[in-house]
Amino acid sequence: MDVNEKLKEVYELSILYDFYGELLGDHKKQIFEDYVLNDLSLAEIADNTGISRQGVHDMIRRCTKALRGYEKALHLAEKFGRIKELVGQIKELSGEIGEAAGTSLEEGTVREAAAFNVPKIVECATLILQEL
Amino acid sequence: MRMAVKIRLKRMGQKKAPFYRVIVADSRSPRDGRFIAEIGTYDPTKEPTAFSVNEEEAKKWLNNGAQPTETVNRLFKKAGIVK
Repeated sequence: MDVNEKLKEVYELSILYDFYGELLGDHKKQIFEDYVLNDLSLAEIADNTGISRQGVHDMIRRCTKALRGYEKALHLAEKFGRIKELVGQIKELSGEIGEAAGTSLEEGTVREAAAFNVPKIVECATLILQEL
Repeated sequence: MRMAVKIRLKRMGQKKAPFYRVIVADSRSPRDGRFIAEIGTYDPTKEPTAFSVNEEEAKKWLNNGAQPTETVNRLFKKAGIVK
């Protein structure tokens, strides 16, 4: 696995854990947390828990599979990502209007910014409503 | 024998907004959250991902035998701190 891919996987699992971690059960949760959130090695987790290294490895693989399964069925993380992106756009677009209103002395400039950005904001909002 | 001091990531940040610190910690007490030093941060939510580390500190710890985890090693490689 290449460097970026592995880092992306850590990020992906971390996000999935935030959404579905509670479904894993306490024991699995702790082991998965140590692996993905605390960056412990399989050997360290094995030492701490008294499970074999292979056992830890299997458990993490099962957890990963379960989390991905939940995401495949529910798409909560995917939806969250899209909504986050759209809200970010709204923030940016409305910020631009605010800036124009704060710095420009000409009313026309503010109106122009609003005329340009408001339809985009509405479009983002519509897409968000469709996600919910 | 495993090294006693490790350089690892520690997840911080709110739920659904992961953010990591790069920390130096004793490998024997990994769960209690104590660490010796913080030498950087890693934010995977940024595009591209943002990794910042005190290179001097990192090299100092590496030279003193601190063992980076696989993930940290990858980040160090990307940043050109290790080959």
